[in-house]
Amino acid sequence: MTRRTALAATAELAAWWAAFGLLWLVLVSTVDALEVLVGASAAAVGAVAARAGRRAVTAR
Amino acid sequence: MNAWILAATILLGAGLTAALWGVASGPLSRRMVAQNLTTAVACPSLLLLAQGYHRPSYVDLALLLALLGPVGTLVFARLLADELAVATPAAWGLTWTAAGVSAAVVVAVCAATGPSRAMVKLLVTGVLLIGGNLVASRALQGGFRQVRGG
Repeated sequence: MTRRTALAATAELAAWWAAFGLLWLVLVSTVDALEVLVGASAAAVGAVAARAGRRAVTAR
Repeated sequence: MNAWILAATILLGAGLTAALWGVASGPLSRRMVAQNLTTAVACPSLLLLAQGYHRPSYVDLALLLALLGPVGTLVFARLLADELAVATPAAWGLTWTAAGVSAAVVVAVCAATGPSRAMVKLLVTGVLLIGGNLVASRALQGGFRQVRGG
């Protein structure tokens, strides 16, 4: 992995993470510190899965 | 009984009756279309009921249905691909009518909710509902035949 692809991967993960994090904050009933923490963690897992899924589809 | 619950009752009563009749009679293509449109009837009804009863948690059910309904149709479309290739169901009129009803319900409920996080959630539900409906209808009509092997 070159420096350029690593940067692209990081940017993609960050974009997925931000999108999923926002979605979480929209869907929960009350926004508090615990929800933000849990949402950020879940969004991080989701970002890794989303990138893996995206690569599996586009690499065909 | 208020206008929201009345609208939900009419939509559920008329829509689900028509859908039940559709899935229980006629050729396979018609049954598939009716099965697909069941989501487009039940999901807006849940949104109307959530507003009518002041129970925001009903929106979660609508969100889940909007997500899982089209997925169910895609499974049917995949498993019955050979039968559907012979008699392709074409129901763009019904599909766009359902999309229009869904959009109208989402806009009405959004207007009643006012700008807030709850409204964004309703819009997410609406996008999933209408987008999923269109994708599932296209899949039933063989629009994604090139991905059958994948």
